[in-house]
Amino acid sequence: MSKSQEERVEHALTQLLEHILPSYPGEDPAAADERFDDAFDFAFDSINSAGAPLIASNVNHVSDLIKHKLVRDNGSPERALRFGNLYSKLLSQPVLNQKWAMLHFLYKLSESTTGQDHSGSRTIQGIGVQNQTQLPGTPPKRQDEQQEQMRSPVFNEAFSNSGLLKLPVSSESPKQPLRHIPSDRTERKKDRKGVDTSKDPVEDESSPSERKYLPMKPSEPNLLRDLPFTLQGLSASTLVFSSSKTLEIPPTLPIPLVSLLHTLAEPSLLYRGLSEFVESSEGGLVGQSFRSALSKELRAYLGLVATLEGEIKRALAMLDESQPYQGIGKAGVTLKRCVIWTREATMGLRLMSVMVEQSKGKKGGQLISLIHSFSLTHGDPYVRTFAERLLSHVTRPFYEMLRQWIYDGELADPWLEFFVSEQSEEEINDLNGDGRKGGATSVWEDKYKLKDGMIPSIITEEFAKKVFLIGKSLNFIRYGCGDAQWVESYSKEASKELRYGDTANLEHSIGEAYKTTMARLISLMADKFKLFEHLQALKKYILLGAGDFIAVLMESLSNNLDRPANSQYRHTLTAQLEHAVRNSNAQYDSQDVLRRLDSRMLELSHGEIGWDVFTLEYKIDAPVDVIVTPFGSKQYLKVFNFLWRVKRVEFALGSTWRRCMTGARSVLGTVSDKVGADWKIARCAVAEMIHFVNQLQYYILFEVIESSWNELQEAMHRPESTLDDLIQAHARYLNSITRKGLLGSQNTDFTGQLHELLKVMLAYKDAVDGLYSFSVAEFTRRQEMSAKIETRTAEGRWGVTEKDSLADTDASTPSLPGSKRRPRTKDAESPFPLLQPAGGNEDDVLPALRIRLKNLSVDFRARVNVLLGDLYHQPDADMRWLAMVMNFNDVYQPVRKKRRVPEKKPSRETPRAVGAEGKTGK
Amino acid sequence: MPPTDAEKRQAAREVIDILQEIATLLNTNLNRQQLSYCVSLIENGVNPEALANVVRELRAQYPQPSEESEPDGK
Repeated sequence: MSKSQEERVEHALTQLLEHILPSYPGEDPAAADERFDDAFDFAFDSINSAGAPLIASNVNHVSDLIKHKLVRDNGSPERALRFGNLYSKLLSQPVLNQKWAMLHFLYKLSESTTGQDHSGSRTIQGIGVQNQTQLPGTPPKRQDEQQEQMRSPVFNEAFSNSGLLKLPVSSESPKQPLRHIPSDRTERKKDRKGVDTSKDPVEDESSPSERKYLPMKPSEPNLLRDLPFTLQGLSASTLVFSSSKTLEIPPTLPIPLVSLLHTLAEPSLLYRGLSEFVESSEGGLVGQSFRSALSKELRAYLGLVATLEGEIKRALAMLDESQPYQGIGKAGVTLKRCVIWTREATMGLRLMSVMVEQSKGKKGGQLISLIHSFSLTHGDPYVRTFAERLLSHVTRPFYEMLRQWIYDGELADPWLEFFVSEQSEEEINDLNGDGRKGGATSVWEDKYKLKDGMIPSIITEEFAKKVFLIGKSLNFIRYGCGDAQWVESYSKEASKELRYGDTANLEHSIGEAYKTTMARLISLMADKFKLFEHLQALKKYILLGAGDFIAVLMESLSNNLDRPANSQYRHTLTAQLEHAVRNSNAQYDSQDVLRRLDSRMLELSHGEIGWDVFTLEYKIDAPVDVIVTPFGSKQYLKVFNFLWRVKRVEFALGSTWRRCMTGARSVLGTVSDKVGADWKIARCAVAEMIHFVNQLQYYILFEVIESSWNELQEAMHRPESTLDDLIQAHARYLNSITRKGLLGSQNTDFTGQLHELLKVMLAYKDAVDGLYSFSVAEFTRRQEMSAKIETRTAEGRWGVTEKDSLADTDASTPSLPGSKRRPRTKDAESPFPLLQPAGGNEDDVLPALRIRLKNLSVDFRARVNVLLGDLYHQPDADMRWLAMVMNFNDVYQPVRKKRRVPEKKPSRETPRAVGAEGKTGK
Repeated sequence: MPPTDAEKRQAAREVIDILQEIATLLNTNLNRQQLSYCVSLIENGVNPEALANVVRELRAQYPQPSEESEPDGK
């Protein structure tokens, strides 16, 4: 340097020093001066000794350095951007010559300010050393932060290769790559020498030692050693199961490892939970097979764990102590690898635990449905195959139960898992309300119930119904029909193993079993128990199908039954029944049928006559009473009762008619002058009633009963009918009879109307009988009179005396209606009681009779009209037909009466009814 | 035209401004006057690294009681 330059430098230096050196207040000037001088000397020396700068002057380089530093130090590029702007501005300035030097100076100064804390008491040995000493400086600073200790080569390899984000643990590591950059660049510059080139070897050496980690506790090999135990759910020294649901991971591990261990903990915990479940022994058969299937899978998992353990052992044996982390990365087995290896097993375990979770509280068919739903509807094919595997195992007890049910009819279900459940006696009674349905009916209907909830989804609803029927029938055959032998032989020959997955075969077997069983049952019913014969017999006797028998019975019983009910004796009734059987075609029926036929008396109440309490009975016992239920028997009796009454009226009217007709030729002819007109009216009325009764009977017997019977036969003899079908058909048959037979309909009370009508008819018959007796009495009287006249004439007296003529006048004078008001004379000759019609009160009797007859016939008419009106409005075509037939010549005006008004206008047709036969029109 | 003095001074001021901004960015804790003296020293050929060392040493040896350096002078 030139002198002037030196001077300038000195001057400037002095000035600078003045500015830099601080002043301490209270310091005496001597010390300050001394300080100043020291500083000056030092500065001067160093400046002179430094010489030329060592680094080649490259402005761009230095600006890059500065930029990097700014970015590094501040984390945001904005300062670097600002610097860039300033730098470009600076470049454009012409003034400064030593731009590079200036920038370099600033750069160096700034570096030193940040590293100022660590400068400490160091001697300046060059910039390279300074650089170097910075590096060890920072690790000590951060030594207490554990997280960055974990920088094993494994992790670096793992994270850098897979591009995983590394946790921002250390600020040193970012420095590392950055610091490599300056070293890279320095390498590129060939003429670099000195401190900077010395940086490289220093830094390379310090890289391994730089990653100064504290060994993690517990170390990875330890963790690996314990892993197989953990995966089996056993506590190990490092990973302890604090409870059955939690695994403790030692807290001293870094976070990436912790997350790995989390992943590995999942199968361990799952396995633990699952093995607990598998050990538990609640639940039924299906539950147990579920558990065994799961344990099979778990065993496979354990196999995997064993393999893993083998691998780990092998790897641990290969560990190299010298390498960092004992070279575990090179051995090939790390925690991360284990995670990969257990991934699929974890999925399986997860699925199993989901199943276990959902299966709580379910059993039997529900459990099967659950697993089946996994195999059917899940999207993941892995899940589906898994569930399929389980299913074949789990459904085995179910199929066992099914097989027994189908082929033996026995329910072997200790845990109530099957979808057919047996009901005990009390339950049945509760269901039916005091066991109304007794006998075999309840066995058939109620002993077994189909539980829809327990039907597994592997079989369809229809299938389940079939299965239910088959088993029920088999059971019924065995117990109800007493045909256990057949069941045994059948089960022996037909029973075969049922399995899951064999759907076509299964359906085939079930179809076969169904057909065979049903056919057997029907044939049993028909042959052994003569079901159809009994139904026929019921129709013949109870429904009055056998006319000859009924006629004889009625004849023989009629006298008896006229007497009051409490004078009837059972044996007389039975004797009459026997008599009737012997004298009709009924004697040709089989003994079995006749045995069941019986006559009985219903409960008596006061004032009833025999007709009201008599009934026939047909005994039905098991198993036929499955079809003819007790309720059905009651319906039969009701119909019998009704038909019997109608028959009785018919019989009564018929006998009256007979008497009238025969009497007309003899007795009544003689008195026709007096009562002839009455007789005509009476005859017409009786004919009307007979017509009515006949039509009614015809309707019921032929239109209703026969046609329903035909339907029943058809239904019963269909080839595919089951017992349930038969029951239904029979019930329908009875229902239609009761309904159409005017007994059962709810809205209109046909029964009551008909009963009234019958009563009216009977009363009319009595009245006609009265008329008849009156006529007979009259006739007798006339006979006597003429006999008396004859005897008197023979004696030579007057044939007819005053007394006689008086009495006679009353009797023999053709009496016109209305001219009956004769003073009654006491007839000395006939001191009969007043009421005797043959006596002297004929005046009263005959008019009374006439009035009565008229009233009755009017009443009859009215009732028939009402009945017809109701019948016409029935929805059933048959009933309308009845109405039409009864009123074929429109003689009646059907009246649709309102319920409140008991009677409507009486028929206007009475005068015309007298000559109604053959006449048409209104 | 050769730059006039005024222009030179203007330019010098600008340069100093720029340098001062840079120095602030780099946290060098140099105020304006110190910076200008450093500039002149370096312009006169002083080794910048040596100068930086000097500054650093002096700062370390004589830590400032306050941020501002009040030259007390001699």
